[in-house]
Amino acid sequence: MRKLSLAAVLLTGSAISTPALAEGHLQIVDEPLELTIQMNHARYPIYEEDWPVEQAAREMTNIHLLNDTVGANMRTDENTGRTEALNLMLASGSIPDIVGSSRIRDFVNQFGPEGAFVPLNDLIAEHAPNIAAYYAERPDIEAAVKAADGQMYYIPYLPDGKYGRAYWIRTDWLEALDLEVPQTVEEYEAVLRAFKTQDPNGNGIADEVPFFARQWPELIRLVTLWDGRAHGSDTYHDFLVEDGQVSHGYIGEGYRDGISNLARWYEEGLIDAEIFTRGSSARDFLLSENLGGSTHDWFASTGGYNSLSSEIDGFAFEAMAPPASVGGNRVEEHRRILVKPDGWAIGYTNEHVVETIKYFDFWFTEEGRRLANFGVEGTHYEMVDGEPIFTQEFLDSGPVNRSLYQAGAQLQARGYFQDYSYEVQWTNEFALAGIELYDQGDYLIPDFLGVAFTADEQQVYDRTWGSIRDYMLERQQSWILGNGDVMADWDAYLAQLDQLGWQELMGVMQSAYDRQYGD
Amino acid sequence: MVDENTNAGGQPLEEALIKAREAQRRVTDGRWVRLFDHFKREWQIYAMLLPTIIWFVVFLYKPMYGLQIAFKDYSIFRGVADSPWIGWEHFQTLFANDQFIRAVRNTITISFYNLLFGFPAPIILALMFNEVMHATYKRTAQTIVYLPHFISSVIIAGIVITAFSPTAGIINTFIGWLGFDPVYFLTQPQWFRPIFVGTGIWQEAGFGSIVFLAAIAGVNPSLYESAVVDGANRWQMMWKITIPSILPTILIMLIIRIGNVMEVSFELVILLYQPSTYETADVVNTWIYRQGLQSGQYDLAAAAGLFNAVVAFVLVMTANTLSRRFSRTSLW
Repeated sequence: MRKLSLAAVLLTGSAISTPALAEGHLQIVDEPLELTIQMNHARYPIYEEDWPVEQAAREMTNIHLLNDTVGANMRTDENTGRTEALNLMLASGSIPDIVGSSRIRDFVNQFGPEGAFVPLNDLIAEHAPNIAAYYAERPDIEAAVKAADGQMYYIPYLPDGKYGRAYWIRTDWLEALDLEVPQTVEEYEAVLRAFKTQDPNGNGIADEVPFFARQWPELIRLVTLWDGRAHGSDTYHDFLVEDGQVSHGYIGEGYRDGISNLARWYEEGLIDAEIFTRGSSARDFLLSENLGGSTHDWFASTGGYNSLSSEIDGFAFEAMAPPASVGGNRVEEHRRILVKPDGWAIGYTNEHVVETIKYFDFWFTEEGRRLANFGVEGTHYEMVDGEPIFTQEFLDSGPVNRSLYQAGAQLQARGYFQDYSYEVQWTNEFALAGIELYDQGDYLIPDFLGVAFTADEQQVYDRTWGSIRDYMLERQQSWILGNGDVMADWDAYLAQLDQLGWQELMGVMQSAYDRQYGD
Repeated sequence: MVDENTNAGGQPLEEALIKAREAQRRVTDGRWVRLFDHFKREWQIYAMLLPTIIWFVVFLYKPMYGLQIAFKDYSIFRGVADSPWIGWEHFQTLFANDQFIRAVRNTITISFYNLLFGFPAPIILALMFNEVMHATYKRTAQTIVYLPHFISSVIIAGIVITAFSPTAGIINTFIGWLGFDPVYFLTQPQWFRPIFVGTGIWQEAGFGSIVFLAAIAGVNPSLYESAVVDGANRWQMMWKITIPSILPTILIMLIIRIGNVMEVSFELVILLYQPSTYETADVVNTWIYRQGLQSGQYDLAAAAGLFNAVVAFVLVMTANTLSRRFSRTSLW
């Protein structure tokens, strides 16, 4: 033990001065213990042993994580790559001691009961007081994490902060055209039309794109303006829950009316003609070319575009409250989800499950949580009046998010509880003003936290949902683009969904939901 | 002990046994020796063949072991061998699925268009190149038409998306000049196949013409010389000499092509299609990709892949048989 702190002094220098280390009360084992880890995420495809945060965690806990990631792809794709890495790992026949990944929930909930991962309920109750304390306070999240057999198989990444995306509009264009910030869907439509016809960018050509989106499913969210629903969670096209009944936005009458109106908007040119093919560069391109008028996108990153005011005279892109729907409701459908399907689990060949769960618990202690959120004290942040505050030097060193990933902090494939105050410190004023606006209005609605299936339910889901989803999206796009009329096609659409097994699918969704969240 | 192992002649028992065995083997000696001599003599040829055999074994024959998951309830954790058998269930699921049936239909339709328009294109191109007299012009033109073959599908898709864009694309700009409204081609189901097949021709016709040019180069020049003496013009020479001479090549290429009917270049489809064009664009392999790989149903995907392979096998056998019967040209 003494030998080790000496090594620590030599290794990390300043980190040793933290009180936590001096006391050593976070130490899990007396002799250093090495555990292997698979960690894969779009932002960091492997676990790096020289991350400053890993080094600090070593000193505090005496547990050393060794990278053993299979299927690491430096160009991991947002949707497929990460789960493919998990599948590759499983197919390779050996599972490391710890497996951390985005979208790990469905994976461990399927293969955990088959024996690939260690069930965690008893371990948490006996050896992880901090995780247990968190779940005691949030039984809804505990329910969301469990597999169909009632066991937890992973420790989730728990995002903090409520707000995700918002409506944004070129307020300087509004001023130029002498318009007010739209408060209702009718006013919103009038503003978009004015953007299209009255040349707010002043170049003499009607080249403005009134509404655009980086991800086209954001367009579908506009159906909330006609009291419909689109996405039940931060996963696109997800189910939703109303009064304990599982349902889906794409079968509602509000959705039908919304799509019908969006088709009209599209035909009028109020929506980007290339909304379905422009892709992720839409926001960057349309804003910097002074063409885009309004969008629905993330607070922090979208607010950042106001730096364009140095190039485009008067450029101001500000958040606005959701316009009131035809029924008079102001709804912001998107929010940060309470619990992500990301996190980490214990592989079945792990011979140190108790130490591992204690290590997982470490990240829920005060010191561990601070380490996971802010990085290493002295290097990335200083304690000011008992609060961790990023050093100016660190804030100036580049995009804060990326710098934190590179230090091994804010890893979403690690089970930890995010601290939103890490983000407030570097969020731009436009985003903060928008969040303030949304906070006053209270526009958010509850998310669907997902369900875990039994093997039989899974089979029904696999057989039906893929085809149903394909069919829904196919019709949705066609209607908006004017190939078919949603009002005329609606009954046939619902009939076709039934034929594809809609009732059966709803049956398993509901039974899974009742099992998980009932009582 | 020693005595027991020694026979009357004083020889050790082992030695006697070996002799006896060799005497027996001498009967079949000829064949084995001949084979051994053959390998000893020709080993260089077999060494050259080895990499191909290894490639086939590793990448084509070994994976066939995994085909059995088409008949199993496959779990990656349990592995191929330990997953339980479920018979034809995945195939029943497939054929009960309208979207799969539609994908099969789309695959065949797109392939048919590809065959109808895409197959003659390189032949026509090769015949045209053959008629070009100016050497520099010919070489430049050939290089230009070969080039698209070497561009990756991702880039090709990017070019196509840009070219057909309703706001900035060259096609719609042109349509605008003619006074028509722009068309959002890539979201309209009726435009998908023409664009896809056209892109395929643009990309591959040039490169595909190489094999036909080579065949044309192999035609006996004396045939042309005698035709000239007989007063044939170039048109007649093309119809009466060039085309009949390269007909075996054309047929072989056609058989190969028919074998690939189920293999529409699906990466290009994935890059170009949209939910709104699934109706005409969704092919078997994209369906497998979405249902099987994206949602992790490997067993179902394997069943669909197996079905694909069986259909392709039947097609290529049929084409080969027909070709052998009617033209005496065949792959085997």
